[in-house]
Amino acid sequence: MKLDPSFIWEALVKLLPVIPTSLLITAVSVLCGFVIGTVAAFIRIYKVPVLHPIASAYVTFIRGTPMLTHLLIIYFGLPLMIDALSSQLGLGFRSASIPMIDFAFIAFSLTAGGYMSEVVRSGLLTVNRGQIEAAYAVGMTTPQAIRRIVFPQAMAASIPNLSNAVIGMLHASTLAFTVSVVELFAKAQIVASTNWKFFEAYLAAAIIFWGLTVLIERVAVFLEKRVNSYNRGGVA
Amino acid sequence: MGEKFDIGYVFTFFPKLAGTLQTTLIIVGGALLTSLIVGFLVALPRLYKVPVLQRLSQLYASFFRGTPILIQLFLFYYGLPEILKLVNIDVSRAPVLVFVILTYGLHTGAYVSETIRSAVASVDRGQVEAAYSVGMSGYQAFTRIVMPQALAIAVPVLSNVILALLKDTSLAFSLGVMEMTGKSQTLAALTNHFVESYISLALIYLVISMVLERLLIILERRLLRHESRAADPFPVFRRERFRRIRQWFTRERSVRLREEAQ
Repeated sequence: MKLDPSFIWEALVKLLPVIPTSLLITAVSVLCGFVIGTVAAFIRIYKVPVLHPIASAYVTFIRGTPMLTHLLIIYFGLPLMIDALSSQLGLGFRSASIPMIDFAFIAFSLTAGGYMSEVVRSGLLTVNRGQIEAAYAVGMTTPQAIRRIVFPQAMAASIPNLSNAVIGMLHASTLAFTVSVVELFAKAQIVASTNWKFFEAYLAAAIIFWGLTVLIERVAVFLEKRVNSYNRGGVA
Repeated sequence: MGEKFDIGYVFTFFPKLAGTLQTTLIIVGGALLTSLIVGFLVALPRLYKVPVLQRLSQLYASFFRGTPILIQLFLFYYGLPEILKLVNIDVSRAPVLVFVILTYGLHTGAYVSETIRSAVASVDRGQVEAAYSVGMSGYQAFTRIVMPQALAIAVPVLSNVILALLKDTSLAFSLGVMEMTGKSQTLAALTNHFVESYISLALIYLVISMVLERLLIILERRLLRHESRAADPFPVFRRERFRRIRQWFTRERSVRLREEAQ
């Protein structure tokens, strides 16, 4: 068996239609994860009585266990819970009617939430304490101060971490193949299964992922320059 | 799918999964060793700006950081024997574990090289110049002056990389390596208790990563002894149990200093 360059191209073309699936998984998990992470970060920063240890435990658990286990636990555990609940309440709803990709969405959002919480928290902590005091001094309420003053600065400071998280979730979206979602990696296997040219197919998938990653990095650098233009320092 | 949830299985699976812990740790250890060597070698051309090699090491780091580890695993598993066949080396009979360790080593090596590069770059330029001015050679300046300082910056980042590596090894099952994740899937399929098996698996990973984190923190403290001593007014009381006493001393002293200043 020799390397077949023409099949790399062929596989690349066949992989193109599933790029949106991978990107959708990434986008959904990053966005939901961001919301979960922000809530968890605020709970931990403000040390909300009961929720604070729960949020800490959640972040520790997520960061201490592989993503694959989250996906598998959700994939096998959630249907059990849903079916038990619906049979108890007498609903006609069966978990089998839930599309596979939804499990990936839920599991990856929870994973992203754990990692995002640290990103948001470190971003919030970099904002100078004087900023929020100045906001109070001009008569803003706490939500106003956070929304208008602290949060924008925190986000600007955490763009590099955010882009790393996005790239991490993009790469992690390949795990969805374990719950039979056809994303780039699964598609590469399917494409190769007809003629056993696995190496070429994986190479094509790798090229696509590489391209997407470089693209995300470029966007992050551009955003960072734009967002941080206000504090370039120096004179003029 | 699956039987009714039974918490008891989580505990019965625990020792069974822990039996394959060895394989996971072999992968982590082997990959870590490979990655430190590879990472260091790859970082060097970029640190010293060697013309062509610099580009190559950039490409290496970009590729391994830009593609998912899962795809890299499969690429190496299918690709490496083919490539080595061109130079008449037959590795098709080599155990899968070798490919897995190599792939994780190269993947982590990319992160290690970036860490080393940024750590060395963050050491002040004046330090090297000062070393040269007292007559050290380039090698001496690097090993005696730059490396200890760079290590201080790199160690916390490296611990994160190591913990990420531990969690990434859960993917080795996809090539058929019987490590903890593979074992948990087998157990789950045998007993039809999927959730319990994966919860058990998650707990084991949680324990290992917590232990590993603690160990790395201890290592970090050991490596950075010289750093803390400079800032510590009472080096005798560096032990944790003397912390209270030390705090009391420092507070006492700072108050006295402030009074003297007034």
